[in-house]
Amino acid sequence: MQFLNDNRNILYSFGIIIFLIALAACTRNDEPELTPVHQATPYTFEIPPGFPTMLNIPEDNPLTLEGIELGRYLFYDTRLAGRADEGKFMTCASCHIQENGFVIGMPRPHPYGLDGDSTHHAMLPLINLVWNPGTYGWNGSVPSIEEDVRAVITDPTEFNSSPEAVVEAIQNISGYPELFEKAFGSREVTLDRIARAIAQFVRTLISSNSKFDRYLRGEIQLTQSELKGFVLFTTEEGADCFHCHGGAGNPLFTTHKFYNNGKDTLFTDPADRYSITGDPMDRGAYKASTLRNIEFTAPYMNDGRFNTLDEVIEFYSHHLLWSPYIDPLMHHIANGGTQLTPSEKTDLKAFLLTLSDTTFINNPKFGKPEKFPDEP
Amino acid sequence: MFRNLLNTLPYQEQCHTSVLDRLILFMSVMIILSLSGCDGEEPIDEPDNQSAKIRISFSHLIDDQPIDFDTLKYVNEAGNPYMVNEIQYFISDVTLFRNDGFARIIDDWKDIHYVDTDLPATQTWEVYDKIEPGTYDSIAFTFGIVPEKNISFMFVNPPEKDMFWPEYLGGGYHYMKLNGKWLPEGQTVQTIPFDFHLGRGQVYFSYPDSITGFIDNQFNVSLPASGFHLNSGETKEIEMIMHVEKWFKDPHVYDHDVFGGYIMQNQEAMLMVKENGHNVFTVKIKD
Repeated sequence: MQFLNDNRNILYSFGIIIFLIALAACTRNDEPELTPVHQATPYTFEIPPGFPTMLNIPEDNPLTLEGIELGRYLFYDTRLAGRADEGKFMTCASCHIQENGFVIGMPRPHPYGLDGDSTHHAMLPLINLVWNPGTYGWNGSVPSIEEDVRAVITDPTEFNSSPEAVVEAIQNISGYPELFEKAFGSREVTLDRIARAIAQFVRTLISSNSKFDRYLRGEIQLTQSELKGFVLFTTEEGADCFHCHGGAGNPLFTTHKFYNNGKDTLFTDPADRYSITGDPMDRGAYKASTLRNIEFTAPYMNDGRFNTLDEVIEFYSHHLLWSPYIDPLMHHIANGGTQLTPSEKTDLKAFLLTLSDTTFINNPKFGKPEKFPDEP
Repeated sequence: MFRNLLNTLPYQEQCHTSVLDRLILFMSVMIILSLSGCDGEEPIDEPDNQSAKIRISFSHLIDDQPIDFDTLKYVNEAGNPYMVNEIQYFISDVTLFRNDGFARIIDDWKDIHYVDTDLPATQTWEVYDKIEPGTYDSIAFTFGIVPEKNISFMFVNPPEKDMFWPEYLGGGYHYMKLNGKWLPEGQTVQTIPFDFHLGRGQVYFSYPDSITGFIDNQFNVSLPASGFHLNSGETKEIEMIMHVEKWFKDPHVYDHDVFGGYIMQNQEAMLMVKENGHNVFTVKIKD
C-alpha cells in the first residue's frame, strides 16, 4: 500500500507539474500583446470584381488611413525635394500628373529633373500598382514602390537631392510631424517613413471603372465599333494584343511581363530587361505597360517614340522589325505586322478608348489636397 | 499541499481520489496534447498510418534530352528546324486506377495544376489529397481542363489568369501555350514565332464572320507503365515527362510551314495537336 501511495503521490506531483507547465505555456502565448502607443486606422482595400486577390502590400507597410493621407500630402508637396532653399521645387506630382494617368504626358515625353537632365526612359503610369509583382519600371529593376521613392531623391535626373535634405525639409514644415505621429507613432520624419507613406498612397490609385469595366459588369453595352475592336484585340488573327496586355480574363491589361515587341533591329539601351536578367532573349525587351487609360498616357513605348494611339496601331499593323530577340508571341512578324485595314484600326482604337476611366483621372481622393499641413 | 490534503482523507474518500487521480492524469494528458495548439501553428498535413501522399514533378524533354531553350537546334518530324522558348499548360483530374475497379480521382479543387517552364515552383505539385495505400495499376489525367470545370474568370491571380482563352473564341483557359520559333523553308536566318496554343476550338459558318459552336479539345492521357505500390505513410515521387517532339509527330506530322505561327482559330490544327497528344507524356515512378 505504501508503494501504491508513494506512486500515487508521484503521480499527483507529476500531474500538477504538467498542469502548471501546460498552463504556463498557454498563458505565455495568450498574454495580451503590449498595447502600442499609437494605432493607425487600417485601410480597407476593396478588390474590384474580377481583379486579382493577391495584393503586393509589404508586411511592414500596411495601408492605413493616416499613412495614405500623409503620402498624398507628400506626393503633391513640391517642397519634398528638399531644395526649396535654392528656389527649386519638385515632388512626385511634378511629373506624375493625374489627368494624364499619372505620367507627365505630351509634349514632354522624357521628364527632366530639377537640374535639367532627362530620365533615361519615358514614364509608366501609376495605375493599379498594388498588383505589380515587384518588377517596377520598364525593365523591372525596381522591387518596390518604397525603393523607387528612395531612388528618386538622389537620381540626378529627378530630385538630385539628398535624403538628409529631404528629411530636414519635411521635418521643418509645421503640421508634418503631427501627421507622421498619426501615421507612424512618433513625430520623427525619416526617409523610410516618407517612402512608406508615399507608397501607401500610390497603392490606392485603382482604376476599375472604365466603360469596358461597366460593360463587363453588364451595366452598359459597347458600340458595334468598340465590340469589333474588342474582338480584334482578343483574337490571334486580329490584332492579338491580349497575350501580352490581358483582356476580360486579365483586367489589369498587362501581364507584367517583358517582351521584345519588334521596334528595332539593334539594341544598345543599357537599361533594357537584358541588363537585369543577362538572358540574351531579353535584349530589347521591356514591360508590357497597362493599357488602362491609354488614351491619357502618351507618349508610348519605353522611349516615348509614339505620340498617338494611331501611331502605335500603325506600328503594330505594318512596321514590325525582325530580330533574333523578338518575342515568340509576336507571330505577326511573319507579315511585318497585323495588317489591320483602316476600318479595323478605327475599331481597335475605339475599343482602346473604352479603357479610359474618367472617374480615376478625376477622383478627388487622388488629386492635390486643398491645402498642405502648414496652411491654415 | 494538495497531495497532503488528499492523504488526510478517509478511505472512502480516498477511493474517490483514485477517480481524482485519473482525472488529473487525464487533464494533464489532454493539456499536453493541446499544447501544440497554443502556438497558433497549423498542423502539418502529413500522411498518417492509414494513408499516403504523392508528389508529382514535371520535366520536359526533346529527343530524350532536357530542353535547351531558346536555341535553334531541333528538327521536327516535318523537317522544320525549331526552338522552344517556353511551355505553359494545365493538367487536371489526375486519376489513380486499381485492378479491382477502384479509381481514385484527386478530386480537390486544386486538381487543376498549372505548369510553366519559366516558373520552377510550378514544376512540383504537392498533391493535396491523402491517398489510400495499395497497389495502383496506372495513372491517367486530363490534358487541359474538362468543360464543366473550364469556367471563365475562375482564376483571378497570376500566373493562371494569364492563360485565359478569349470569350469570343469559347472562353475558359488555354490548355497549353507552347511558344517557340521555327525556320521556314527557304530561310537561313530569319526564324518565325509559332504559338502552339490549345484550347476551345470554334465551328465557323461563313469564316471568319460567324461562329456557330465551340469544340472542347481537352483530352485524356493514360500513362503507360505507370503502376506503383503506395505504402502507408509514404510520399510517392512521380515524374511526368513531356516529350515535346511528339506534339509534331504521331499520328499527324505537324508542319509549321503549313499551319504558320498561330492556331487558336484553326480547329483543324488544334485537332491534330489533340490527337498527337496521346503519347506525349511518359512517367517515372521513384521507388
